[in-house]
Amino acid sequence: MSTIELLRLALSRLRTNRLRAALTMLGVIIGVASVVALVGVGQGTTSNITNRLAGLGTNLLTISPTGRGGSASTTLTLGDADAVRTIATVGGVAPEVSTSATVAAGNETTSTTIVGTTSAYAGVRAYDVWQGTFLTDVAVEHDLRVAVLGATTASDLGLGASDLGTTVTIGGLPFQVIGILQAKGGSGFQDPDDQVMVPVGAVQKYFVGGDNVRTIGVSVAEADQMTATSAEITALLRERHGLAATDSADFQVFNQTQLLAAASSITATLTLLLGGIASISLIVGGIGIMNIMLVSVRERTREIGIRKAVGARGRDILAQFLVEALTLSLLGGLIGIVVGLTVSALIGQVAGWGFAFNPATIAIAVVFSLAVGVVFGVWPARQAARLDPINALRYE
Amino acid sequence: MTDALISLDHVSRIYSMGHMEVPALVDVSLEIHPGEFVAIVGPSGSGKTTMMNLLGCLDRPTAGEYRLAGTPVADLDDDGLARLRSRTIGFVFQSYNLLPRTTALDNVATPLLYQGVSRSERAARAKAALERLGLGDRIHHEPSELSGGQQQRVAVARAIVTEPALILADEPTGNLDSHSGVEVMALLHELNAAGRTIVLITHDADVAAAAGRQIHLRDGRVVA
Repeated sequence: MSTIELLRLALSRLRTNRLRAALTMLGVIIGVASVVALVGVGQGTTSNITNRLAGLGTNLLTISPTGRGGSASTTLTLGDADAVRTIATVGGVAPEVSTSATVAAGNETTSTTIVGTTSAYAGVRAYDVWQGTFLTDVAVEHDLRVAVLGATTASDLGLGASDLGTTVTIGGLPFQVIGILQAKGGSGFQDPDDQVMVPVGAVQKYFVGGDNVRTIGVSVAEADQMTATSAEITALLRERHGLAATDSADFQVFNQTQLLAAASSITATLTLLLGGIASISLIVGGIGIMNIMLVSVRERTREIGIRKAVGARGRDILAQFLVEALTLSLLGGLIGIVVGLTVSALIGQVAGWGFAFNPATIAIAVVFSLAVGVVFGVWPARQAARLDPINALRYE
Repeated sequence: MTDALISLDHVSRIYSMGHMEVPALVDVSLEIHPGEFVAIVGPSGSGKTTMMNLLGCLDRPTAGEYRLAGTPVADLDDDGLARLRSRTIGFVFQSYNLLPRTTALDNVATPLLYQGVSRSERAARAKAALERLGLGDRIHHEPSELSGGQQQRVAVARAIVTEPALILADEPTGNLDSHSGVEVMALLHELNAAGRTIVLITHDADVAAAAGRQIHLRDGRVVA
């Protein structure tokens, strides 16, 4: 018998007992839907974290002084930044001095963060230039009064692509706008697009004084050198700061990437765990199918006898019952996938990380529901196929 | 000798129930030739049912040789028996044995399904068989919507749809009122007249009398 004949037989059989078929499928529907939904939500969370990770800058280490308070407690200097730059595994070093100031362009004013830094900042913090250029080495070297605007700041000031070269005032001093950055989008508490970048020397000269820096951002060339580089930086700066082995450091090297990577791996584990729990309900659904198929074999003993008498072989009967079980599990699986995707899309919508459609999840769900059909359908089908036609015909 | 459709040579069928051995058929030898109308008659317990199961290839003898259309049944496995049944035998049962919740058309087409006949040809042949038995207007009815006589005619249609050499009828009139019974018997005669071999199993002497030849069974042996 061809597959189409078997499917036709199975479908007509399921049609004669719709309620039973629907209830049996419900078990698989719930199982598959919860697996798909939970895995979808897990993947949404993970990709959310991964996006933040990329947004922070690739392979970023942040050096900051320990202890709290203003610039008084800052012990890091531009010299420290230059020293760190000599480490072989370091890709870029961007010292940062920041302050708050009012920025004005024409009639528009906004209060924002002024970051004094170098040309390496864009690379280290993963910013892209939308219009114009970023701070150049020449501008930084000569403490030129030039400014690069974050996307939010630019729009707050009503400045667009055509406004490159205009002058804005920062804390009353005129700066020339040489570039506008591309928006990164929100990550965390602070809007990374609401800031103005100017040469580090200009901030020190005009706003904060001294040659201390608030933080030093360091990008490491290769991801697997993060830990080693972090240790090297620590050793170098301890030496530069004249610390004895027993002194506690006056700075710390913070590896945000590592933190988020750990968070991301925890989420992945949780996803696996939740998926595992959900797949238990899939097994329960499978047992539901087996139960109903066993009942069905019992009820249809006489039918099996008749079919055998008129020429059905054992394998024809086996195929018939197996295809029935598979139809139940596959139909249930497909409905479950639709339900699961809908749920995870809704949750993604509410949580704000959007809807990540993953074809692999669908493929796995289909394979799983087929497997459930085979595993839980084959035994009842074998029972049916093995029935002795003589006894089956006389079964009441 | 060799052209016999059915040939039983010293056939016995003994059931073992625990330690007891119950002989149902003992040393039966007989031949049935193509075109015959044979009644196998006997009271209940005489081995009729066992005979029917053996002749119908639903069972195998414990001793002796059964050849159906020249094929020794003992050599066949279960699939082989199924194929032989499908090709050479049409069954008519006392209790009709139609598939419930299945139209007359699909019931009659079922044997063709297992022969691998295409869907359109199945429908055409099943419809033709039903029309031949005067059920042309009932093809989309389910068994529960048909009278006993009509159900048995559907069963006969199912038996002849594969054009089998042998029609094996087990008390075909047993569940029918006398009028329907006469009708079904007339039908079997008609099929016999058209060249089909009929083996009828019954306990009813009147029904048996209609056959061309009678084989009497008693206590598992052929007595006449």
